[in-house]
Amino acid sequence: MTAVLEVRDLTIGHGGVPLLSGIGFDVARGEVVAVLGGSGCGKSTLLRTLIGLQEPLAGSVHFPGIGGPEQAMSPPQFGVLFQSAALFGSWTLLQNVMLPLQKWTRLPKDAARAVAMARLRLVGLEAAADKLPSEVSGGMRKRAGIARALALDPPILFLDEPSAGLDPVTAAGLDQLILTLARGLSVTIVLVTHELPSILAVADRCVMLDRQAGGVIALGAPRDLATHSDDARVRAFFRREAASRTT
Amino acid sequence: MPSPGFRLTASGGAGDRVVELAGVVTLADGARLWRELRDAVAATETARIDLAGVERLDGGGAALLYAVRDERVGRGRVCELAGATGDVARVLELYGGPPQPEPASPPRPHALLADVGDFAHDLWRSWQSVLAFLGDLCWALARAVRQPRSVHFGEFGSLVERAGTDGLPIIMLINFLVGAILGLQGAIQLHRFGGDQFLASLVGLSVVRELGPLMTAILVTGRSGAAFAAELGTMKVNEEIDALRTLGQDPQRFLVLPRVLVLVLVVPVLTVVGDFLGTLGGMAIAVGYLQQPAVVYVQMFELWVDLLDVGTGLMKSVVFGAAIALVACQRGLAARGGAEGVGRSTTAAVVAVLFTLVALDAAFTWIFSLLDW
Repeated sequence: MTAVLEVRDLTIGHGGVPLLSGIGFDVARGEVVAVLGGSGCGKSTLLRTLIGLQEPLAGSVHFPGIGGPEQAMSPPQFGVLFQSAALFGSWTLLQNVMLPLQKWTRLPKDAARAVAMARLRLVGLEAAADKLPSEVSGGMRKRAGIARALALDPPILFLDEPSAGLDPVTAAGLDQLILTLARGLSVTIVLVTHELPSILAVADRCVMLDRQAGGVIALGAPRDLATHSDDARVRAFFRREAASRTT
Repeated sequence: MPSPGFRLTASGGAGDRVVELAGVVTLADGARLWRELRDAVAATETARIDLAGVERLDGGGAALLYAVRDERVGRGRVCELAGATGDVARVLELYGGPPQPEPASPPRPHALLADVGDFAHDLWRSWQSVLAFLGDLCWALARAVRQPRSVHFGEFGSLVERAGTDGLPIIMLINFLVGAILGLQGAIQLHRFGGDQFLASLVGLSVVRELGPLMTAILVTGRSGAAFAAELGTMKVNEEIDALRTLGQDPQRFLVLPRVLVLVLVVPVLTVVGDFLGTLGGMAIAVGYLQQPAVVYVQMFELWVDLLDVGTGLMKSVVFGAAIALVACQRGLAARGGAEGVGRSTTAAVVAVLFTLVALDAAFTWIFSLLDW
């Protein structure tokens, strides 16, 4: 399998103070990799470093054939769904999705509109295209955020807590969409989450971070980690999350 | 990475045409695909877009193929996408699947009558919310009088600093310039009629009774009124106001009353400073332009401007201060939506406050003239 993202000996942190170090993993084309760990363990910081919004303290992030995150950003070789969806509040969902198309393609307006509508149709939001983000639900905002992230057909999608704060049915719908993108369109997906049902439903592999250990403590298929991991912290994480789901 | 691109060949006549697509059909080549494919199927009764030769198709390419097909079908022509296999067929299926239903509100008619009705309804709702706000405030004020500690005085000092001290330099400068401009205009006219000595009364009365309070209030509106509306608007859209309520705090007493009190106290003080600087601006013109001794200007000022004049200006400024805080806070708390809603409420607050100030000033002037003050 060809790697589309290579992370080598990465140290991340804030203000020069390391938070996690020695992070290293590859992500293959069409793979769904979940970055997990407890609250405040540095998942979102890692994501921000992968997409170039934050400089690593050491190590490298490399998109083979493209370069580092800076090169991969213009034109964007990846799409990002932020935790809050980060849609522009004064624009309709359609305008939000059209924005990258108008910036980075030479499509005439009607063609860009057709492409944006197709993205919205893909995520089930065609009928809400002319609504403002404040007029739709949290789940719909997340799906619109995914449609915008998909606008330029990026080979990689980074999703920050896609199902956080959503009801189980909506979260399951988002998981299904992620699977559709990965299996149907061969989009590589890196998602940051600690929602166990999502991890088990969509992830091919997990990268588990731990603040106390200061780096990656486990790397592998979620079901293997849940049942066969040698690390008690990993087993405990899956047990706790599973327990919190059943209570 | 440059896209390898696609090849397009069209065969057949205007009645029945086959367009063969081959190679890589992606969004990167979208503009060319859109142009060439539309040209190829234009003016045909029946078109068949053969995708058998397509090696790779991405979502953007699929979206454009469907858009071209739908455009033809929408014009009553026949157009079909055919021959796709493997991954190409899968992508095509993903993008061409039946749209998932979403609850959509029925389209509303854009009739003039409906617009007038909407406007009237919005106006009524807006007045309702203003009345409700004032009612809540009166209730909060009554409770605050009985329990003064229930008012949140924690940020009182910083509010006084932001609304008062920080605004002092610009208020001094603007009032000085207004006094000077008024003085210059007056001096030119008065000089023609040999009435130089009346400049002090012209500037003094105008500044102390009208311009000082009004200009100061306008500047406080631009600085503090807009800030209050934006601050409370942001808190509203971030659900912080709801959070306050769930914590048993009354937003009126926690947020609005302190701001009203601050402006009721600060605006008169700023007005006194503004009056002084405005009068000084007039004196600068008297001394510099009319060559009048400063002592004459001061004596004439004392002769024509009495404490009642200063008092009427200060009465106005107290009411102006309360009006600025009330209208700005009401608009801020009425914000809805996201960042755009905050922007809208801030703009609305500034416009509403300015209108209120001018209306109040007119009312005061009329009342004072009736009372012969």
